[in-house]
Amino acid sequence: MLDVKNIVKKYSNHIALDDVSLNVEQGKIFGLLGPNGAGKTSLIRIITQITAPDSGEVIFNGKKLNSNHINQIGYLPEERGLYKKMEIGEQVLYLSKLKGLSTAEATKRIKFWFEKLDMGSWWNKKVEDLSKGMQQKVQFVATILHNPELIILDEPFSGFDPVNADLIKNEILELNAKGTTFIFSPHRMESVEELCDNIALIHKSKKILDGSVDEIKASYRNNTYTIEFVGNENFDNNEIFEIEERSEFKNVSRLKFKLKSNYTANDVLRFMLPKVDITHLEEVVPSMNDIFIERVKTK
Amino acid sequence: MNKTLLIIQREYLSRVKKKSFIIMTFLTPLIIAGFYGLIIYFSIKGINDKTDKIAVINQNKTLTEQLASNKNVTYEYVNQPFDKLKANLNKSGYDYILLLPDFDINAPKGIELVGKKQAGLTLDGRISDSIEDLIRDYKLKRSGISQKDLDNLKSNININTKKISDKGEEESSSAGASTIIAFVAGVLMFMFIMLYGVQVMRGVIEEKTSRIIEVMISSVKPFQLMLGKIIGIAMVGLTQFLLWIILTFSISAVAVGIFVNKEDAKKIVANSQVGPVNPSAQQIQKAALSDGPIGNIQQSIQNLELGKIISIFIFYFLGGYLFYSALYAAIGSAVDSETETQQFMMPVMMPLLLGYALSLSVVTNDPYGNIAFWLSMIPFTSPIAMAVRLPYGVPAWELGLSMGILIVGFIGTVWFAARIYRVGILMYGKKPSLKEVFKWFWYKN
Repeated sequence: MLDVKNIVKKYSNHIALDDVSLNVEQGKIFGLLGPNGAGKTSLIRIITQITAPDSGEVIFNGKKLNSNHINQIGYLPEERGLYKKMEIGEQVLYLSKLKGLSTAEATKRIKFWFEKLDMGSWWNKKVEDLSKGMQQKVQFVATILHNPELIILDEPFSGFDPVNADLIKNEILELNAKGTTFIFSPHRMESVEELCDNIALIHKSKKILDGSVDEIKASYRNNTYTIEFVGNENFDNNEIFEIEERSEFKNVSRLKFKLKSNYTANDVLRFMLPKVDITHLEEVVPSMNDIFIERVKTK
Repeated sequence: MNKTLLIIQREYLSRVKKKSFIIMTFLTPLIIAGFYGLIIYFSIKGINDKTDKIAVINQNKTLTEQLASNKNVTYEYVNQPFDKLKANLNKSGYDYILLLPDFDINAPKGIELVGKKQAGLTLDGRISDSIEDLIRDYKLKRSGISQKDLDNLKSNININTKKISDKGEEESSSAGASTIIAFVAGVLMFMFIMLYGVQVMRGVIEEKTSRIIEVMISSVKPFQLMLGKIIGIAMVGLTQFLLWIILTFSISAVAVGIFVNKEDAKKIVANSQVGPVNPSAQQIQKAALSDGPIGNIQQSIQNLELGKIISIFIFYFLGGYLFYSALYAAIGSAVDSETETQQFMMPVMMPLLLGYALSLSVVTNDPYGNIAFWLSMIPFTSPIAMAVRLPYGVPAWELGLSMGILIVGFIGTVWFAARIYRVGILMYGKKPSLKEVFKWFWYKN
């Protein structure tokens, strides 16, 4: 639904985005990753039409991005806030009217969402009377209220306690199940693995990695396993695997090893079963966190 | 456009609903009415004021004529030693003792005035005028001028200044009234532009520091947001100004109706028509403006076509406000907090202050001069300069030209400010230098 093609954005003393292309599929949750200052916010600002690219284009639902698309996008920036002196209900009403909703429709939807997210009594409260987490909830509601087709969330869980983070996560998944597409830019990679279908990694203004989370993780498998067993055997210098780490806890030994070429996990079991009691065998799959750190460091 | 209207609405309502706005709006006319009331009160009191009773001890052998009493001062010649009278002053019933020693008529000195309280500047002036008159009359008589000729010498002058209007009619005006209105208009204009301009700046900073700005501009264009804010606050200013006018007039009318009875009102008018009793005292009073001819001022205000002045004033307020508030919006966008604004405020404040200072000094002295003309053409100063010039009357072509320049001017500043604003609102952190801010102007969008 969203096609970003060869975007270049320069500022006076640096290049924020250098020929970045990516594709966000309809109904998916897309993770936009990258270290601080990589250019994520610049890219999001181009998609939300806050700024324009120096070259390249953005295609939204088959059409070149234009001002008619503003109301179809919901954006929760990382730097977000509310008018301090304004009442909550009035404020969300104002923000959603700016997105083209009528007063009656907006009021109806605000009531619905406030009820749903335990904010029923907040209408007449002022922002300064709310905690940061409560404000985040208000901002989340304001972002999704106009039923956008694409919702962009920059750091959506910062400031939430675990209960509310879970509440918001479930709302995201529910909206996603109904067909809403998300672009998601978290700092915590755990939430990427939980939520995202596809990702793109931006580093130093360039896209250095993209694809589905599963495929990327699969491509980072490197035949490393951990095994736990009971028995007095050290398996040093065997021809099937090479030991990378060794630890012992009470009578249980734990090995982390890498298979030598042409061997499989089955060969390991066949080799070890006669000698020790195996309690656990697991392939070491790199986490998104590991992949992120590795890619950013090696570049 | 619809979005701009929504922004205007929010900016307007959120300010008009504030307690501080409501208090300011209703308190200020009360203060103005109270001030006006005080002036009337004192002018009535001034009329009813008891006259000072002065005991004169004349030891001078040349000045045999007595000082003439008038409505402010009564002179009574007494034949008592100075010291004795001084000791018994409290019981004597006199307010002051005037001692005229036996001085040389060509070099009068040693005159003393002793009283229960320190004699004021006005009384001092009145008495010395009386003595001067006495000495002058003596000298004139000595050189052979008769009493009759002397009486003929005195004449009462009260200048009735008139101005020919554009239509060729004569209008009576009073330089004093025009000056008062010019001052009030100038100060009001300066205050309004400052107050509401700074409100725009604060509003922009508030949106930046509360971090709502990025949410907002993902829905609306920066230009819409800036314009909405500027227009919304302009309407707040207009509301306040109109309420002030309506409230001030109605409160004054009610107050005058209640506190001033018809007798006093007649006295005020009568007093205003009494000619100058003695010139220097009159000048002192004029300077203090407290005993000014209120009847004349009211008459002049009516002749000045208050309606026309107010509508032109409103035009210049809006024009000047738009001109400056756009610059204030640009300043607000460039900084993260109000404490950082000083460096940028300077270049914006300077022309406004200069216009203010020059308008209230040079322009009021010479409302048709070259400086007045140029100040009222340059859009940086024209709102204040024109507000000051209005009561004196401004040729229609000058007014038209100046208004045209101001319109072009504020379109220019709004355009300029919008280019700074759109970049500034997304900049956080390091405070930019003035040079960097000007660089933003050239950014492509």
